[in-house]
Amino acid sequence: MSDALRDQVRAFILENYLFTSDTKALGVDDSLLGRGIVDSTGMLEIIFFIEEQLGVKVKDEEMIPENLDSVNRITAFVESRRKAA
Amino acid sequence: MTLVEQFQVHARATPDAPALVWNHTSWSYAELARAQRAAAAGLLAHGIVRGDRVALLLRNSPEYAAALFGVFAVGGIAVALNSLERAEVLARQIRHSGARVLVVDPAHLEFERVKALLEGHPVHFVRVPTTDAASAVDTFLAAFSEAPAATLPSPADSDPAMLIYTSGTTGRPKAVMLGHGNLASNAQAIIQYLGLTASDRGFCVLPFHFSYGNSVLTSHLACGATLIIEDNLAFPQRSMQRMSALRATGFAGVPSTFTLLLQRGGLRDYDFSALRYVTQAGGAMTRATTQRLRAELPGVRVFVMYGQTEATARISYLPPEHLDTKPGSVGLPVAGTRVEVCDAGGQPVPAGSIGELRVHGPGVMLGYWQDADATSEVLRDGWLCTGDLGHKDADGFLFVDGRTVEMIKVGAFRVSPYEVEEAIALLDGVEEVAVGAMPDEVLGQAVKAVVVLRNGAQLDALAVKAHCRQALATYKIPKSVEFALQLPRTLTGKVQRLQLTESNR
Repeated sequence: MSDALRDQVRAFILENYLFTSDTKALGVDDSLLGRGIVDSTGMLEIIFFIEEQLGVKVKDEEMIPENLDSVNRITAFVESRRKAA
Repeated sequence: MTLVEQFQVHARATPDAPALVWNHTSWSYAELARAQRAAAAGLLAHGIVRGDRVALLLRNSPEYAAALFGVFAVGGIAVALNSLERAEVLARQIRHSGARVLVVDPAHLEFERVKALLEGHPVHFVRVPTTDAASAVDTFLAAFSEAPAATLPSPADSDPAMLIYTSGTTGRPKAVMLGHGNLASNAQAIIQYLGLTASDRGFCVLPFHFSYGNSVLTSHLACGATLIIEDNLAFPQRSMQRMSALRATGFAGVPSTFTLLLQRGGLRDYDFSALRYVTQAGGAMTRATTQRLRAELPGVRVFVMYGQTEATARISYLPPEHLDTKPGSVGLPVAGTRVEVCDAGGQPVPAGSIGELRVHGPGVMLGYWQDADATSEVLRDGWLCTGDLGHKDADGFLFVDGRTVEMIKVGAFRVSPYEVEEAIALLDGVEEVAVGAMPDEVLGQAVKAVVVLRNGAQLDALAVKAHCRQALATYKIPKSVEFALQLPRTLTGKVQRLQLTESNR
């Protein structure tokens, strides 16, 4: 898994939902929903981030926790979509 | 009949019917009744008597419903806490309500901090894990660990049953006090116009601590229907899959729910042939969104509604057959309720003229909890002054045109600018702050803050937001923080929040 991509995803969530640059505030496997970091509109913003900043289109049916509910899951999803493209 | 009595009629008549479905679990009416009786007995054993407050800090779950109805059954007053709130706010509300018992999910993220903040305050914690394991009912019974009580009091309609905290125009906590009569009559009015029956299966993504979500829960349990509970809509496709697979007959949402579903729900991909109706309340939804929703869900009746926590929940609804003839209207008052459009002196104005909407009927709250001043501002001669501006057309159909008070509506939540200002003002280096609304594509509005720093102080937007995250629920955190040398003021020196708001439009 790309460290640069993972750092970029983590930095986005830290800045926009935890309002900090302290990486200790968010574990890469922490559940974004379970920890109350994002709600349903926050998840929508993460989708926009993935599409606009990371250049990967998220299909409606791909909006599932397995793809999006942690830094590592988002990173793995984006990588797999980039490879498939 | 109170809500509990209505619920118990169904628990006796159809004990095996599913009452609540949540994740992998389903509670029958008999199981929910058993849990509710155990909660009641447990609360009695904790010394809870008529009029005592019992706070609930539980996410949407069958456990929440069992605890709520347990409190009702002993004549207690349920304090429905917002599980999205931060510890400081929760602790303040628990103290303000004078709750003697807190029924809480020990896994709640803020529980440890709430406990610490309540140190020295006489409140007993009943820990109820919310679980979708097969043993959920037994886990709930064990939390209260008492034999069912032999006799329970029979509360009067005018006895308070529930407190729902709402954003006030000051930073002080303000709780709407609803009576057993309020809850029962509003649930019956909803059952009537939606035509709800025991064969209905509602699908609820709305939080139960919020009056709209509360009305969905109570109306289903009062008519023997099934309610399918979802915690959130973060993964809309998953929710829609579930709604289709479980053949839901009804769905309740606020404008942002429908915006989200129309953007990302893939509504056309699912079989919603069982879906009979959807309801929309919680603020104005654009006509374009209503039209798109109708196009995506052909054959489904769309109810556009209007309500307020101070009126229990529902004030009016537009019969779906009038969607095209009365576009933009919130319809006609629910059964037993009157709505007048009044001038500043409280006199009704003619059709077509805009005034404040005032409401009279069985849903109008008892008042604000221990706040006679705030109560007398909005309850006058039995009429509720809603603070909403509107008009009626020549046929008596209601239209909402705006609000008289400065309140930000984020999704369906009312956010008081004062509460956010007070939180930011506590931050070192802040000289003054003003908070207003900014437009938001999904939520309708979001919070915007303008901050004036003290000389030499160094703060950035991130630091302000990080501070807010510690003190406020997520939806109250400003989406935009700007810095200015001074705030917009009137000639008399009053901060112009409206100017702040409109400068962004």
